[in-house]
Amino acid sequence: MNTLTSLFTILIFPAGLTLVLVGMLYEWIDRKLVARFQNRVGPRWFQPFADALKLFAKEQITPEIVNPYLFFGLPIAALAGALTAALYVPLLGLNPASNFPGDLIVTIYLLSLPTMCVGLAGWNTSGRFSLIGATRALTQLFAYEAPFLLAMLGPALVAGSWQINTINSYTQNHWVIFTQPIGFIVALIGLMGKLELPPFDAPEAETEIVAGALTEYSGRGLALFKIGKSVELIVGLSLISSFYLGGLNGIPSFLLKSLTLLLIMSMFQVLLTRLRIDQTVGLWWRFGAILVLAQLVVTILWKGFSL
Amino acid sequence: MNANEQVWTKVINQVRTWARMNSIWAVHFNSGSCNGCDIEILATLTPRYDVERFGIKLEGSPRHADVLIVTGPVTRQARERLIRTYEQMPEPKFVISVGACSISGGVFEGCYNCVGSVDDVIPVDVFIPGCPPRPEAVIDGIVQLLTELKGGKARAPQKQNVPEEIAA
Amino acid sequence: MNIEQVLAQAEQLLAAWNKETIHPESNRLDVVIVADDLRAAVIALHDAHWGYLSAITGLDLGTASAQLEALYHFCNGPAVASLRVRLPRDQAILPSIADIIPPASFFERELQEMLGFTFSGLNISARLFLSDDWPENVYPLRADFTLDQAAPVAVRQPDKLPEQGFVGGNTFVIPIGPQHPALKEPGHFEFTVDGEIVTAARMRLGYAHRGIEKAAESRNWIQNLYLFERICGICSHTHAMAYSIGVEKLAQVEIPARAQAIRELVAGLERIHSHLLWLGVTAHEAGFDTLFMYSWRDRETVMNLLEQITGNRVNYSANLLGGVKCDIGLEQAKAIKEGITYLETRIRHYLEVVTTDTMFLNRTRNIGTITFAEAENFGLLGPTARASGITRDVRIEAPYGAYTRFPVSVVTETKGDLEARCVVRLKELLVTCLAIRTIVDNLPEGPLTARMPRKIPAGETISRIEAPRGELLYFIKSNGGETPARVHIRTPSLCNWVSVLEKAVGRQLADVPMLIAGMDPCFSCNDRVVTVRHTGSNENWSWKQLREYGIEYYKR
Repeated sequence: MNTLTSLFTILIFPAGLTLVLVGMLYEWIDRKLVARFQNRVGPRWFQPFADALKLFAKEQITPEIVNPYLFFGLPIAALAGALTAALYVPLLGLNPASNFPGDLIVTIYLLSLPTMCVGLAGWNTSGRFSLIGATRALTQLFAYEAPFLLAMLGPALVAGSWQINTINSYTQNHWVIFTQPIGFIVALIGLMGKLELPPFDAPEAETEIVAGALTEYSGRGLALFKIGKSVELIVGLSLISSFYLGGLNGIPSFLLKSLTLLLIMSMFQVLLTRLRIDQTVGLWWRFGAILVLAQLVVTILWKGFSL
Repeated sequence: MNANEQVWTKVINQVRTWARMNSIWAVHFNSGSCNGCDIEILATLTPRYDVERFGIKLEGSPRHADVLIVTGPVTRQARERLIRTYEQMPEPKFVISVGACSISGGVFEGCYNCVGSVDDVIPVDVFIPGCPPRPEAVIDGIVQLLTELKGGKARAPQKQNVPEEIAA
Repeated sequence: MNIEQVLAQAEQLLAAWNKETIHPESNRLDVVIVADDLRAAVIALHDAHWGYLSAITGLDLGTASAQLEALYHFCNGPAVASLRVRLPRDQAILPSIADIIPPASFFERELQEMLGFTFSGLNISARLFLSDDWPENVYPLRADFTLDQAAPVAVRQPDKLPEQGFVGGNTFVIPIGPQHPALKEPGHFEFTVDGEIVTAARMRLGYAHRGIEKAAESRNWIQNLYLFERICGICSHTHAMAYSIGVEKLAQVEIPARAQAIRELVAGLERIHSHLLWLGVTAHEAGFDTLFMYSWRDRETVMNLLEQITGNRVNYSANLLGGVKCDIGLEQAKAIKEGITYLETRIRHYLEVVTTDTMFLNRTRNIGTITFAEAENFGLLGPTARASGITRDVRIEAPYGAYTRFPVSVVTETKGDLEARCVVRLKELLVTCLAIRTIVDNLPEGPLTARMPRKIPAGETISRIEAPRGELLYFIKSNGGETPARVHIRTPSLCNWVSVLEKAVGRQLADVPMLIAGMDPCFSCNDRVVTVRHTGSNENWSWKQLREYGIEYYKR
C-alpha cells in the first residue's frame, strides 16, 4: 500500500475519523437502548457528538500538583491505544489495515492501554476519589484481563493462528459460538468489564467516589478519554463478532452482528446491580477464569484427538 | 480579520453554541433546603419527565459540569462549600437557583442561620420560583437558560459577587 | 395495663427522688427532680425497662426567672413520663447520661449548643448543628438572643495547605458530602479507609440547619404551620400534623372525625411516596438504576393523587389548625382506589425484586446487620428499628387521630440487615394501602374544621406521630399568647444516625452509601435546630490545589 492510501485508511476511513464517529453512534445506540429499557425516551442521535464538542469548548482546569506531561499526555495515549488497536481488526467488516502473525496479542494489549491510562491518570491527580477509582480500575483490569485473553485464545486455537486476519477467514465457515459457548459469554462480559459498563462500573461508581479516576479531568482531557472508550467499544465488538459469530466479511454483517451484541450488553446493563469491587474480582477469578480454562482444555483435547 | 476568517469564526461559534445548548451537564448542590426542591429536580430524570432526551445529565463532579443547580436558603455552614463548588467548575458555567428559599430565603427569611438568597453568594443566571417548583417548571427554567445561550449571549465570567479569599 | 397504671408504675420507680408530681395531660406524668438525682432516676427507669428515652427538651424560663429547665421524656406506649430539672442560668450543669443511654449524647449536645447547658461527663464539645464560625457562648434558643449576636458571615475562610490525606500506610480519609452524588441532602461524613475497608467513621451535621425552632417563637400559631411543613419536603404532612394535633390539644379542641380520617389518608399517601422515593434512592446507591427509574415512575401515581386531593405534589399543606382544608369527593375517591390498586401490584412486584434479585441481594443481604439488642441500645426508631424486631410504632402503641378507628398493623422483620429494612418498608406500604382503601370506603360524614381560638391557652403538650422514618416528637409550650413560647422538635433521623456510624466500621467503602440509605436519612428534619459538630480537625483545603478535599464539599 502506498503512503497516501495508508494515511487515508488510518486517519479517515475505516479507522481514524470514521471510527470515532461510528464509536459515538454506537454509544448513542447503547444509551438509547438503556433508556428504553428503563421506560424512558432517551437521548437524541447526535447527543454523544454534542457532548464531545461541548467538552472541547470548555475550560481545562489543571490541578497544581499533577505532572503536566502525564496530565495532558494520558488522554492522548488512551485514545491512541484504542485507535491503533483498530488497525488490526476487521473494522466495519472490511479487511484489517495491517496484519502480521501474532497481531492478536498486540491488539489485546493495546486495548488495555486506555484502562491503564485511566489508572495512571487517577494516581497522577492523586485526589482521594481519584486514587480509589484508579485502584479499582487497575484491580478490575487484573481481574478480567486473563479470562478475556483466554476467551480470545479459544478461536485462535481452532483456527490455528495468532493472526486476526487468518482467524477471521477461518470463522467465516465455523461459527465458534456453538463449539465454545462459554468462551463467548466470558468474552462478552469481559468486554463489559473492559469498558467499565454497569455492573462493572465500580471504578467510576458515582454514588461512592464521585467520578472515580477522572474526577479531576475537565474539558479536552475528559473528551479524549470518552472518545477512546467508544472506540474501544467498536474494536471489542468487532473482535468478538469476528471470532465467535462467524467472521466479518462486509459492512452489513458487521452491523448485524455487532448490533446484536450491543443489544445483549445493554440488557445486561439494565438488569444487573453494580458489583462491589471485591465481588467483581471474586466473580472473575472464581468463575470466569476457571470456566474459560476448562473450555480451553476441552478445545485442546478435542483438537488433539481430531488431528 | 479577512472575510474567510470571519466566516470561520462564525461557524465555530455556532457549532460551539449548538454543542453547549444540547449537552448540559448539571451538578446539584443542596445548601440547606427542606429537600422538596431536590426531589422535584431528581424527578426530572425519571421516566415521566426524562430530561436526558434534552441532553441534560446529572453529574457527580463539579469539574464535569456546566450548570450548578442550587436549592435551599444557604445556611452558614453550607455557604463556604457552595462557593468552593462554584469555583471548581470550569468555564463556561451557569447557576440555576431553584425554589423560593434560594431566591429570597423563602419561609426561612430572617432565621439566624440562613444567609438568604443564593444570589448573595454566587452569581445566579436563572431563578425558578416555587415551593417546590414542579419538574415541568424546572425544565422550563433550564430551557430559558438555553434560550439565553442561543441568543449568543456569551456571559463573561462574573466574579463580582464572589468574595475574594483571604490569603492564608 | 392502662395508662394510669403505667404512669403509676413510673411514679413508684421515681418515688425516691420525686420532689413534685404534675399531670399536664391525661397521658403524661411530670416528675420534678434535682440535678444530682438525675442519673439515679434515669437508671431506675432504664433498668426497669420502663419505656425508652425519646427526647430531651431544653427550656429557657425567661430572663426574669434566670432559670433553664431540661425535660427528659421517656415514652412507654401511649404514656410519657418526663423528668424535669430546673437550673440557674449561669450554672446549668447536668450529669451526662450518654453512657447509660447512647442516643442521649445527641440530645445533650443539642442542649449544650442551643441553650448553654453543660453536661459533665460528655466530652464532646464539637458542634452538632451550629456552623463552624458560630461565635462562642452565644446560645440561639435563649430568650435574650438577638440576631446581631450571631456575627454576619461576610468573609471567606482562609485556605490552608492541603494535607496528603494519608493517615499512614494505605489509610486515608474519604470525605462524603456535603456535595456528593450519594447524598441528596447536605451532610458530611468522614470515613477513614484502609484500602477499601472502613476503619473509622465520623459525621458532621448542620448544613441544613436553618434555625426553625427560634423562628417559631416569632411567628404566630398559624404562620408556624406553614413553617413546620417545610422542615422536610418528604415528610411535610407529618410535621404539620404533629404540630396541629399538639396545638389542638392545648386549645382543647376536638376536630371532626372526617378531618381526622382525611389526615390519616394523606399521611398514608405520604408514606407511600416517601418509601417509594427511598426505594429508588437506595437502588440508585446500589447501582441498580432500573429499579430507581421504575419505582419513581410508579411514585408519580401517588404524586398525582396527592395533587388531585391537595393541589400540590410536595408540601401538600392539607392541614389547618382545627382540621383539614381539602375534601375527598366521589371523583377523588374513585381515583384514589384506582391508584392504590395499581400501586399494590407494583409494590408486590418490588417486594419480589428486593427479596429475589441475586445481584441486588449481594448489596443488601447480611450487610449492616443490627441485632435486636443493639437496636434497643442505640435507641433506633422507625422502620430501621422494626427491621431488627423492635415493635416500635407510634400508630400502634399510642394511636392518635383516626388510627383508633382505622388502625394499621405493625410490620417487623428479625434479621436487621439492609434487606430486612427494604422488606419492612415495602410491607408497611401494603398495610398502608389497605388502610387507605378502608378509609375511602368508610369516610365519616361531617365538617372539615373546628373553630380554633386565636390565642392558644397556656400549657405544655407533647404530640408524637409516626413519620415515615420513625417517631416524631413535638413539645409545644404556650404562654397564652399569639405565638408559641417554645417548640421543640425531635426528629427520628437524629436517633438513627448511629446505625450508620457504628455499622460502617469494618465494612467496605462501597457499602457506605447503602448503609446511609438504609436508615432513610432526613438531614433537613435533623438540622432544623442549630447544632454543628466539628469533626476533629477543621481543615480547609485550597481549591486552587484542587485537592480531593475540595471534592469533599461536593454535593450532588
